[in-house]
Amino acid sequence: MKTLKIMLALGMLALASLSVQAVEIRDYHKDVIGKNCKSCHDNGIKQFPSDQACLQCHDIDELAKKTARSEQDKWQNPHNNLHYGKELPCQECHSEHETKKPLCSNCHTFKYDKHKE
Amino acid sequence: MNKIDLLGRRKFITGLGIAAGAAMVAPAMAISEKADGIAWDKEIEIVIIGSGFAGLAAAIEAKKLGAKDVHIFEKMSYFGGNSAINGGLFAAPVTPMQQKEGIQDSVERMVADQLASGRGIADEALLRHVASHAMEALQMTLDAGSEYHPYLQQLGGHSVARTYQTTVSCGAGITQPLLKKCRELGVNTHNRAKFEGFLVGNQGEVLGIKMRENYHFGEDQPGKVINIRATRGVIMATGGFAQNVNLRMAQDPTLNAEVGCTNAPGATGEGMFEMFRLGAIPVHLAHIQSGPWASPDEGGFGYVSNYSIYNFPHSIAINRLTGKRFMDEIADRKTRADAELACRDEQGNPLPPILITSYQDSKQHPNTEKVIKYNVGWKFESIEALAEHFNVPLAPLKAQIEEYNGYVKTGKDTQFGKNMTKAADKYIKAPFTVVRLWPKVHYCQGGVMVNTKAEVKDSFTGAPIQGLYAAGEVCGGIHGVSRLGSCSIPECMVMGMTAARSMMQA
Repeated sequence: MKTLKIMLALGMLALASLSVQAVEIRDYHKDVIGKNCKSCHDNGIKQFPSDQACLQCHDIDELAKKTARSEQDKWQNPHNNLHYGKELPCQECHSEHETKKPLCSNCHTFKYDKHKE
Repeated sequence: MNKIDLLGRRKFITGLGIAAGAAMVAPAMAISEKADGIAWDKEIEIVIIGSGFAGLAAAIEAKKLGAKDVHIFEKMSYFGGNSAINGGLFAAPVTPMQQKEGIQDSVERMVADQLASGRGIADEALLRHVASHAMEALQMTLDAGSEYHPYLQQLGGHSVARTYQTTVSCGAGITQPLLKKCRELGVNTHNRAKFEGFLVGNQGEVLGIKMRENYHFGEDQPGKVINIRATRGVIMATGGFAQNVNLRMAQDPTLNAEVGCTNAPGATGEGMFEMFRLGAIPVHLAHIQSGPWASPDEGGFGYVSNYSIYNFPHSIAINRLTGKRFMDEIADRKTRADAELACRDEQGNPLPPILITSYQDSKQHPNTEKVIKYNVGWKFESIEALAEHFNVPLAPLKAQIEEYNGYVKTGKDTQFGKNMTKAADKYIKAPFTVVRLWPKVHYCQGGVMVNTKAEVKDSFTGAPIQGLYAAGEVCGGIHGVSRLGSCSIPECMVMGMTAARSMMQA
């Protein structure tokens, strides 16, 4: 029984640290996400968020404006890029529980200085 | 928090464990099965698996021919497959641009060039079928809004300039307009939709497919599997398997995980496996092509590949150990990739050769600024600076350039027999731009055998498998040993269109 309690405590700790980690990546998500997993996990807790989850708050056209590049490099805009336009799902480059490299880095050496990886 | 809550949590954690386990096992269970007594979740007229050139062209053509209900299923989260990340190079014979430039070409000439590169094992009937309809496919892209550079290129192994390239120098300049066109025409496009096997009737005919929804590539995600009835049939446009390291090593053990690859991560070949399980004939699986224009200084296709493809005709490729040329810079891909792989230092370690171009000529292509800006290519004001940077012996290099410039003048390369048409007046002189070359796995010549109706033949009966069509890189045997550059896009599109035509006539 004691062992079970320890395991439960460890389990809770793991869950708690997961929540903390979720807001550690992006501080500004603390207020809107907090510890409410369902604000992103709209397909159920066991599933990845849907590709619409981030778009509840974020507007792709605004994001594309914010990350626009010079005319010569305009297609490097991650939110309106050469290969997939504005359709690339957020989760390809962003995560709340871990850092991720942008999809572009599979083939390209150009950088996104503000991207957390 | 009370005890009951904790127990609830405990069950929840257990539940997660089971779910994760099930998800890991599920892909291995994907297999075709008899459709007897199965409950259909959906009925669709035409099912297309894969959203690259072949799938998109098939969908548009099917709609044009009056299909009402066309669906494209893509396992990745984004559409376009490999077609969205290549050079956007499109070869076709007897085109408006050839007429404008006064270039004599024909279907037969294009087929002959491809047969030579195929080294005796290419499928002449399929090559002729594709070349005969290539202009129609090019027109489909133009109608959808694709834009091309206002000049033709002469790629390796082609005896004349017959290659269009999109203005964005990428296949996305075709997939994006085609995808938009599909949606305008009412084609339903589904991403994160993973093909999990065929559902087969009593005569061995394909009646439908199993499809996993909400699929996350490379993740344990228990998406729901549904059974879809395809009333007219299924078009497999699932691409090659260059990213499946185990399978490519089974064919060629040298193509291990350390060898670079230009393909999208999803090019893993499951669609092809399922067709083999159904009885399709495997052809030429061991012929896996590496791109000789790729760079070891970036991942995948990157920026350098297009830079090199454009510049090869008027550049020299130099072995850094000797300072001399080592190949015809516009030989077919296999010839060049093999020659590059033979460039080694004294210890036998890879010594990527360099491609030297006059900046005056290289700067005509938009990628030149990019390769320099992103440090995957370099500009030099003098041959001395270039030689020092790459540790190339200066005297032989200077002699080689002088010798080659003689070939530019006479139009005859007595060293490697390069076709110097596109090199006319393009002398190698300072300032120079330089990139390093090292082949990357690029294309699978092998796949399932198809005929000129895009029907998939059964290995036991030799007859087409009813209800099943295939188009694009998932098909094998068309190109033989080495596919010529810019011949895949016309093949994918023509065979996609062909599959749609066959299906609508069946």
